Amino acid sequence: MMSRGSVDLWVSRCRLALFTAAGATSHACAQPECASPDYANPECRVIAENELARLLTGAGVEVRFQEPTARTAATWAATGLARESAPGALSLRVAGPGAFAVSFEPTRPDVDASLEITLDNVDPAASVVVDELGGEREVPAVAGSTRRTVTLDVAGPAVRWIRGARPCPPRYRLAVTADIQTNPWQFERIVDRLIAEAADAEAAGEPLVGLVIAGDLSEASRDDEFETLAPIFARLPFPVAVTAGNHDIYRPLHPQYNRNFGPGNYAFAVCDVHVAMLDSGSGTIARSVQARLPELLDRGERAHLLAVMHHPPYPGITGSGWSREDTAAQALVEFAAADVDLVLAGHNHALHDFPSIDVGDAVLREIIVGTGGAYQGVGVPRYGYLRLRFGDGDDIQPCFVEVEPAGLDGPAGESLRTLEYCAD
Amino acid sequence: MPTLVLGSVLGSPAPLHARGREARSGVAASKPAGCGRFDALCCAPGVEPCVRPGPARVLLLSLGAIAGAGAAGLLFALGDRLSNGDAGTLLVGGGAVAGAGALLGILAARTLGDGPTLEDRVRRETLGLAMTGAGTRVLGERSPPSMSLRVGPTLWLDARSRLRLLGEVTGLLGAERHVDPRPQLADAGAAGSGTQPGTLARRRLGFALGLDFAVGLPYPVLRRSARLGPTELRYRPEVQYRRDWITMGDAGTRIVEHTMLLPLLVGARWHVSPRQRFTFYVGPRFDIISYSSLDGRKLSRGKPNVAPIYGEAWYDIDVPLTEHPRRDGATRRAKTTAMLSVGYVHSRFGGRGFNFGPVIGFLGPIHAEWTVRVRPVGAKAAAQFGAGVVIGNGYAVTGTVGAVLPSLRGRSR
Repeated sequence: MMSRGSVDLWVSRCRLALFTAAGATSHACAQPECASPDYANPECRVIAENELARLLTGAGVEVRFQEPTARTAATWAATGLARESAPGALSLRVAGPGAFAVSFEPTRPDVDASLEITLDNVDPAASVVVDELGGEREVPAVAGSTRRTVTLDVAGPAVRWIRGARPCPPRYRLAVTADIQTNPWQFERIVDRLIAEAADAEAAGEPLVGLVIAGDLSEASRDDEFETLAPIFARLPFPVAVTAGNHDIYRPLHPQYNRNFGPGNYAFAVCDVHVAMLDSGSGTIARSVQARLPELLDRGERAHLLAVMHHPPYPGITGSGWSREDTAAQALVEFAAADVDLVLAGHNHALHDFPSIDVGDAVLREIIVGTGGAYQGVGVPRYGYLRLRFGDGDDIQPCFVEVEPAGLDGPAGESLRTLEYCAD
Repeated sequence: MPTLVLGSVLGSPAPLHARGREARSGVAASKPAGCGRFDALCCAPGVEPCVRPGPARVLLLSLGAIAGAGAAGLLFALGDRLSNGDAGTLLVGGGAVAGAGALLGILAARTLGDGPTLEDRVRRETLGLAMTGAGTRVLGERSPPSMSLRVGPTLWLDARSRLRLLGEVTGLLGAERHVDPRPQLADAGAAGSGTQPGTLARRRLGFALGLDFAVGLPYPVLRRSARLGPTELRYRPEVQYRRDWITMGDAGTRIVEHTMLLPLLVGARWHVSPRQRFTFYVGPRFDIISYSSLDGRKLSRGKPNVAPIYGEAWYDIDVPLTEHPRRDGATRRAKTTAMLSVGYVHSRFGGRGFNFGPVIGFLGPIHAEWTVRVRPVGAKAAAQFGAGVVIGNGYAVTGTVGAVLPSLRGRSR
């Protein structure tokens, strides 16, 4: 128990820290980041997304999402969402398309557990294997579904792994949209269109390998809004990669976005494209993420690199930019240094193309595609998604697929000067 | 009753000391000129030519409300189909300052009185130092304050026009340090304090340079003017520059330069009353972003990009602190005046933006400042002290100290 004298000492030290030189840190008043959580603070969401990528089951198995290349279970990576809904029943949502890995490590030698695992958001075309003693066991896909189930026995000291990877043809597609907010019904129409396109694209040998949503899945950061989207996402025959928007994160008490979708800051590689997802929901990215930009933007051997976030780092005069323009400028610099092919964002409920943003001697292209269903004001709204085609040379070919609202016959909008509507 | 309410809102009571004399003598002072049927329409006492602060503030309040609410309404109604919506958000912020300033002005006029223009009111100091600090309460992090050296010499061209050089060199007093809070990295051995390792460090140096040219319009401009206060036009071309040295974990240090060009920043000032002013600036903005390679020193220079619209709106209230004789009859050795300023800056260039609820990434910061000028009687120079707060992405406390030297030529109004 603290004595009165020591309490007074602490109080005086705190007062001193508050009233002396502004900005000086006093450890007397300091506490670890997010010791008092505020999930409107992007750094707290970094903690949340990392905590939610691992769990210790009741039976004593440490489950961790890992980098696809990981060989040790000693650390983990925020590349998915792990939950135990009932004893031994695990739900694992992989954050995005492409390769993934999950480790299962018994924490005691006497652990002997049988885990019923549901893997969500995994491409049905992906090869998913469980390592067995002396070999591997394939986890079969369900046609048209991104969900798979598997039973995994974990016993003794051995670490078990589930790994997945998607084989890719040379040509493939990726779809991008943002800002669903108050209109999941319009988003359902977009999903209908995407399901149709997936079938056509598969037949053409140019599969649609994923949908990227650049934030604002909800209007008011509520669980029921996120739960409304879950069955809609489940209809898609390919994975969905999401990040948070300002409407997804502004309630500070719980990390609802992360609890429903997992990480907002992560990178995935699918086919020949590396995609960096950044949680800019607070109008900026976390400082720790700012420091990791070179790592998140490291494309390795991939031919293409995309940077995706909710707030456009270059807003033009749309009025919808980052709250911290200095951080936005640094993000643009990192995009330029990493030679990002395309910056993708939402926030502005419209379709904009900024084809040449000068950053140093580099020129970036940014497309705002806030057309996922959110309110666009008077007049017929322009809803739909951006289709990115890869494979014909080094260039990415973007075009916009308009999905008209119910009751409208024909397109509501026209091509932009620098961005065409897709021909089919 | 409505007349009474209107009168209390519009009215500019006589200065406190005058009211005291009236009360003591029991004789009502004669009405100021221009009152007509309503006291609320009186000219400000002791001010020639007539200025009607009451109606002027109500007009400003109305214009602010119309601009702010109208722009907000338009933004919601038209939505983002209005692809150049930045002007709307600027109007929301500027309108809010106009409205809030007018209300504050009414309150100040009712409590402090609305006398003639102060002889030596607070203006930008000629030479000053400013500190801004936000601090951090995160263990292992460091957020040093920034310090600025500011100059603002003034050249009066005539009684109504002046040119002021605005210069500022600013820098962080040390390196900012941020930790990586990822729990899987927690390692007591790797941390400076706590268990979270440092991951981002930033040093900053910047400058701002501008020329503020103000020309007062004749007053009243029109022969049949409502006499709601003089106005002046302003032109302030300006450049702001920041150079950051950003160290990202083990990746290295990168220099990032961000330059904001404001070649066509124009504005106006409305002297709503002799002691209260509403000022705004607006203009296009062009940004240049340059950077170095990791651990490199040579910069890759960028070209200007069209950036969000730049704007400012300020409401200033002069507060005389030594207007009345001392109670003991002794002579004052210094004249002291103060100024309360509230403002909105439509730019997040400095890294601050005002957010609320889901409204994130649209508005710039809000400023509130209290500045005091002390001039020893008969002295050519004065000292000026200020304190304030900047609200946006949290808040920062500001403090200024400076010297007010004689103008390069001529005298202020």
